[in-house]
Amino acid sequence: MDAHSAALIGAGIAVLTGLGAGFGIPLATGKTSEAIARQPEASGKITGSFLLGIALAEATAIYGLVVALLLIFSK
Amino acid sequence: MEGTQPMSISDKITEGMGINNAVFTIHLFGLSVPVSDTVIATWIIMAVLMIATLLLTRRFREIPKKPQLLLESFIGFMDDFAKDKIGHHGRTFLPFLGTIFIFLIAANLAPMLTPVGAGVYFGGNIEPAFVIKPVTRDINVTAALAIIVIVTVFFSSLVVRGPKGYLKGLVSPTPVMLPFNIMEYAIKPMSLCLRLFGNILGAYIIMLLIEGVAPIVIPPVMGLYFDLFDGLIQAVVFAFLSTIYIAEAIE
Repeated sequence: MDAHSAALIGAGIAVLTGLGAGFGIPLATGKTSEAIARQPEASGKITGSFLLGIALAEATAIYGLVVALLLIFSK
Repeated sequence: MEGTQPMSISDKITEGMGINNAVFTIHLFGLSVPVSDTVIATWIIMAVLMIATLLLTRRFREIPKKPQLLLESFIGFMDDFAKDKIGHHGRTFLPFLGTIFIFLIAANLAPMLTPVGAGVYFGGNIEPAFVIKPVTRDINVTAALAIIVIVTVFFSSLVVRGPKGYLKGLVSPTPVMLPFNIMEYAIKPMSLCLRLFGNILGAYIIMLLIEGVAPIVIPPVMGLYFDLFDGLIQAVVFAFLSTIYIAEAIE
């Protein structure tokens, strides 16, 4: 196996970080819906912290993507 | 698909990443500055936004007409948001945050203006008249935005709290946190930059793949999510996180 094939396999493994975001964001979304259903008047504040939370949860997936791209395109 | 394909998908992706394809080079004072298509697209977006601003803010009336009404409700929404998050300094930072927000919306939604090309699938090879690629897929653009934000965070903290208060803020809540508080100045812009870049580039690559597999009917539907929704959400998230960072720097 030459270096480039190994890098491609590594890129595939790096993208598995998407799993974390895939589990995390639905969890946050469900809890947000629950919270808004319980207290509709606080929906503004809840949405704020929800956006912050998914932005942070998503970051890991994005780092995986960036690592994968680096592995593919850096020569 | 017997039609001769001018470009394979991987070539298209490599070209779409296009950070190094300089369109022309400016020679100035012995320096040569390569100007990439991202820079040109950014200039065009800036020009459109400036002209739109000039046209929209002329001739305000006491009783607003439709464009003014839309503008007023949009500004009012951002003003409420800034005041809610930042407090009484909200007005100070509203122009900055609003500029970033409007620029990102324009930059992320501009690719939707690309006219439809018939592609290579009906025997012919009709390329669209012009292709607008999202400028935020270039890491240089997002890095510049993130650096602007973190410099603003630093100086606003220094000015609002004063030098003494700033140093005190560095060792809060305990002096053990000092290295982490300093590290935040590198981590915050990096995560801002990579989040926007990764999201937009990822959506762009996925759209290229979809267009390669199913050239008609499906791309516009998927484009609603990957271009419109994702672009808007990322613009909101970037502006929102900038607001939060500034708010906690000056509290």
